Amino acid sequence: MPEVIVTTRSGEQQAIPFTPGTTLMQAITEGGIYELQALCGGVCSCATCHVHIDAGHSAELPTVSEDEDGLLAGSEHRSERSRLSCQIRLTDALDGLRVTIAAEDE
Amino acid sequence: MSATDLTGKDYFTDLSLLLDPYEYFRQMYARGPVSPMGSADSLLVTGFAEAVEVLRNNRDFSSAIATTGAGQPLTFVPEGPDISTQLDAFYEQLGPMNLLVNYDGMPHARLRAIASQLFTPTRLKATHDFMHEFAAQLVRESVQKGGCEIVNEIATPFVTLVVAEILGVPPGDREKFRAVIDAAPPPGNMNRDDAREDSEPQMSPLEYMGLFFFEYLSDRRDNPRDDLLTQLALATYPDGELPDLLEMVKLSGFLFGAGQDTSAKLISNAMRRIAEDPVLQEQLRADYTLIPPMLEEVLRLEGSTKATWRIARRDTKIGDMEIPAGTRLTVALAAANRDPRRWENPEEFRIGRPRIQEHLGFGRGVHTCAGAPLARLEVAAILRHFLEQTTQISLNAEKHGPPGNRKLEYEPSYIIRGLANLHLELRA
Ligand code: HEM
Ligand code: FES
Repeated sequence: MPEVIVTTRSGEQQAIPFTPGTTLMQAITEGGIYELQALCGGVCSCATCHVHIDAGHSAELPTVSEDEDGLLAGSEHRSERSRLSCQIRLTDALDGLRVTIAAEDE
Repeated sequence: MSATDLTGKDYFTDLSLLLDPYEYFRQMYARGPVSPMGSADSLLVTGFAEAVEVLRNNRDFSSAIATTGAGQPLTFVPEGPDISTQLDAFYEQLGPMNLLVNYDGMPHARLRAIASQLFTPTRLKATHDFMHEFAAQLVRESVQKGGCEIVNEIATPFVTLVVAEILGVPPGDREKFRAVIDAAPPPGNMNRDDAREDSEPQMSPLEYMGLFFFEYLSDRRDNPRDDLLTQLALATYPDGELPDLLEMVKLSGFLFGAGQDTSAKLISNAMRRIAEDPVLQEQLRADYTLIPPMLEEVLRLEGSTKATWRIARRDTKIGDMEIPAGTRLTVALAAANRDPRRWENPEEFRIGRPRIQEHLGFGRGVHTCAGAPLARLEVAAILRHFLEQTTQISLNAEKHGPPGNRKLEYEPSYIIRGLANLHLELRA
């Protein structure tokens, strides 16, 4: 099974297997990491599924939509590597993707 | 004064729980955040942390019974530590009532991928003008009359029109849908007598609307337009596959129906507060930006969905508590939203609570309400027009009795928390 490597807020690293077709947000949650609140359930309206993409794979990632960009703009922790994990649908090409859960906005 | 013991009451049929279901939930919570419902074969989840845990654990807790609830015996006897095969058969039986909200696992994730793209911020921005025009007009008419019955005269037609317009349902058909929805028992109906066994089985509103949606969607596949029905007709699953048309028929019918009662009831639940609390009313009149945070607090204290249901797919746990496969759970969102371990002075109405958006009014996890962004927007829009066009909103004492001794009637539903009617006096 392909996997993503997730660094939690406390700095722990965990490899999470995923089924292609699910979102990164879902994979992280179903992998047992409960740090993402994902309050809107992935409908691109809450920004509580914010992650930073650590390295690589940028070519395989879907582009940032206007809506995603708008939501990320509201986060204090936005960086050029910021993404909303519910907007990233995982494919085999993303096997090995490394991400870090972003700090929570107050 | 010691309150009557309500814990033995049947949540699914006892109409005396409708006026204040929160008292029942409080008494059950006192027995433990997850405790057996004496009256029904289900555990009642009233704790916030426990409800979140169940809703997020969609691997072990199936949504197969999300809408049917636990008031009736299960149609099968759960066997063994994993009932997946039995659940497959149960899904078959649900037939046309097997909807997105009931799906589990991959079938859910695939369909949700489509549903989650419907009410994006961009799409909703495009609805702003017509939503406000229609709200302004409805409110103007009722202010001219000096009052209205907000549930049936304003809230329901308003939310119907909004979702119909976004979907692209032709104006001529909207009333037909409204009529079959109105004629059918409410979701989570508590009046068992309504199920007239002697008469012909009635076509459910979903089946009736399905016939129309089938036509619309077939037409949109050939003649695309700029509406949600077109988006649904042309949508593909993440793997590129085109969904079966029937799947999209069910989804569009569900979208039309799902937001009706819930959004309309949220409008009236919010309006009752505004009408009964002059200080709050003044605050809102002075600052319309308080409307959205006020709505979040209404969703917490009096959200229009009281509960949803899950069934344990396999032997599992909530915290340390063992939950055998086949256990049914009544997840009382309304109770979790008043859990004193999570909310300071939970019964108090307070705008601007920290982390208020974590309330469970729209659920949590993979099944979180896909229409929440639309619901928030439309409800805020109409409330704003009521505040803009009036100087005073109050309850009609002739219909509801004097302040301090109001008579209110709630919809007989174990799912929906909402007034059957609310008569307002409106002063321009
Ligand atoms: C105030 C209004 C509303 C409330 C309180 C509400 C509440 C909820 C809740 C609690 C759930 C989760 C059920 C569960 O986890 O078992 C849900 C699901 C859903 N709602 Fe809403 N809802 C509202 C309005 C709407 C509107 C306007 C629409 C669409 C037009 C809508 C569409 C849906 C859909 C499609 C689902 C199923 C999502 C899934 O299973 O993936 N809702 N709603
Ligand atoms: S879960 Fe809300 S934006 Fe991703």
